[in-house]
Amino acid sequence: MFAVFLSTMCGTLLSICITAIAAFAVTLIFRTSTTTNFAQGSIAALGCYVTAHLFNKSGVPVWIGVIPGVLVGIAVGLFVDIVIFRNGKNVTPVGKQIITMGLVSIIFGGLPLIFGNAESTPFEPFYNTVKKGVKPNFIIEAFGGRIVITKHAIICVIITVVVLGVLFFLLKHSKWGLGVRCTASNEFTAELMGINTHVITAVSWGIAGGLGVLAAVMYAGGGTMISPSFMTTVQVNAFLAGILGGFSTFHGPVVGAILIPVGASFVGFLANFPGMAGISRWNMVVVYVAMMIVILIKPQGLLGRKILKKV
Amino acid sequence: MSKENRLSFGKNPLAQILVFVVVLVLLQVLAMNGIISAAFVYAVGNTLIYAIIAIGFCLLLGYSGLASLGTAGFIGIGAYIGFYIIQEFGMPFILALIITVAVALVIGSLVGFISLRIEGIYLAILTLGLAEIIRNLLMVIKATIKIDINNVKLFGITISDRGGYFLILAVFAVLMLVTSHLINSPTGRAMVAMKNSTSAAQAMGISLMKYRLMAFVIATIYAAIGGLLYMMYVRTMTTSSSLLLTLTTSLNILGAVIIGGAKSLWGTTLGAFIIYGIQSMFLSKIPFFVKHPAFITMITGVLIIIVVMFFPGGIAQIFSNIGMKLKAKKLAAAAPAGGKEEA
Repeated sequence: MFAVFLSTMCGTLLSICITAIAAFAVTLIFRTSTTTNFAQGSIAALGCYVTAHLFNKSGVPVWIGVIPGVLVGIAVGLFVDIVIFRNGKNVTPVGKQIITMGLVSIIFGGLPLIFGNAESTPFEPFYNTVKKGVKPNFIIEAFGGRIVITKHAIICVIITVVVLGVLFFLLKHSKWGLGVRCTASNEFTAELMGINTHVITAVSWGIAGGLGVLAAVMYAGGGTMISPSFMTTVQVNAFLAGILGGFSTFHGPVVGAILIPVGASFVGFLANFPGMAGISRWNMVVVYVAMMIVILIKPQGLLGRKILKKV
Repeated sequence: MSKENRLSFGKNPLAQILVFVVVLVLLQVLAMNGIISAAFVYAVGNTLIYAIIAIGFCLLLGYSGLASLGTAGFIGIGAYIGFYIIQEFGMPFILALIITVAVALVIGSLVGFISLRIEGIYLAILTLGLAEIIRNLLMVIKATIKIDINNVKLFGITISDRGGYFLILAVFAVLMLVTSHLINSPTGRAMVAMKNSTSAAQAMGISLMKYRLMAFVIATIYAAIGGLLYMMYVRTMTTSSSLLLTLTTSLNILGAVIIGGAKSLWGTTLGAFIIYGIQSMFLSKIPFFVKHPAFITMITGVLIIIVVMFFPGGIAQIFSNIGMKLKAKKLAAAAPAGGKEEA
């Protein structure tokens, strides 16, 4: 039974990585621009389409093709902040949300126009070639059972740990990180202190766009069918991870992003016990309800700091 | 507000609604005579459903300042109740309506209580989570729901698309009247006070709990009624594949309210027509857009961004700006040169 449990948990590694990266991107934008970026998933999908197109049409390997994809994500992120937000007339936080929603519409409409058939499973050939030579899985015999880990998941875990590690290091020890933390605590004061908040927010949008694409390519690489809205679920989970872990810190949402997929597959795992077989259909419902109860008890999130309101 | 003002057309909601209803009834009459296409009028009816939902949301966002992303879930509740009561149990529409309102009341109060603890964008994301719970729940219960047209009855008479259209129009008129009276009543003023400053509102003796609960209950009821009407009119829904119960719909309703002008009910209605109507009513006729339906989505997106960037008060603000300019011109024309010096 323990082996089944471990195997189930290994199956969630990929979605943990994707949600964690997406959650970090959402948090970065939430803290520097005080808005939720609803286009996070769509920008990611756009970049993923670029990578997929390069892979299928020109045979560019994924690890090179992901670079132009990420660059597209960065470009769109910068465009949103520099061209749209900066030029709008007193755009409120809700207004910013609506703008990102307009961007979702543009990308949803634009993807089929640019790439023709919108829905495809782009990296399937990649998996088939892998299957020809090498086995796609590691299989460990332990605890009286077989634990299966896909190699894809392991690569993704390494990438995620490195990328998020570097970003957290930069947040803590670089000048940019100091600027982000200042802007996050109070944009107006940060500006008075001589921090160029425009650069800080623009860079944050760029990083968030690029991270989104990275997550999308990792997700699609797992054999998922891509469509303009294929990242929406991930994005929703990233938002929820944000409030579960607490938006007031940067590591909180990442912790939330680990808890949500783990919780979902743990509920799925319970189906192995007698009398619980039907529960796997309800896994998302159970996880979301549990999460909601946690947030009601601790509104600032699991790791969030309590913010005192001044009148 | 002077008495004359209140009686004049511009300020009288009843007169405005009457004109609106007469125009839309005329559309249906024209369609019956074959002058305009039935598909066009059908699309108008469909858009009106979203306008109903948007009006409820306008009260929530524009007047109470509470952002919610749970609209899609509430629509789903109305739709599923409609399906089970009307199709599975063969009960009349009125009963479905009563049950929908009752369930929406309970869920709206629940969200209202949550809103006392959690505010702002956190609340929006939490309601998004709630909508996801509802969507997943409904999907597990039944993935595809479909009402047989013979079962769509009102007072024992089977109603077709045309009857459904009139039903939607009637519901719209009633809810519009109720809402416009509500926002001009002490309740509406209390909500605006709460939006501007919760602390100041509380200091004035306004109960946050009462009005937040009320705002959420109303918005939820409108959304659920919208779902019920959708089920009566469109009669089929595939929860697993359609976007109707996802974040997209909640965002579109939010977009309709913002584009139209968050504090104007007619602006909101116009916003709903822009987001949902343009596509189904006009552009679906032009061959170019039939070939590339994706262009319509793009145009809506660009429109949304432009309105938010340059007209923070929405389309209602553009109209009121024009009105102000006309008024200023009239004043300038009425007063001779001496008046200008004074100003």
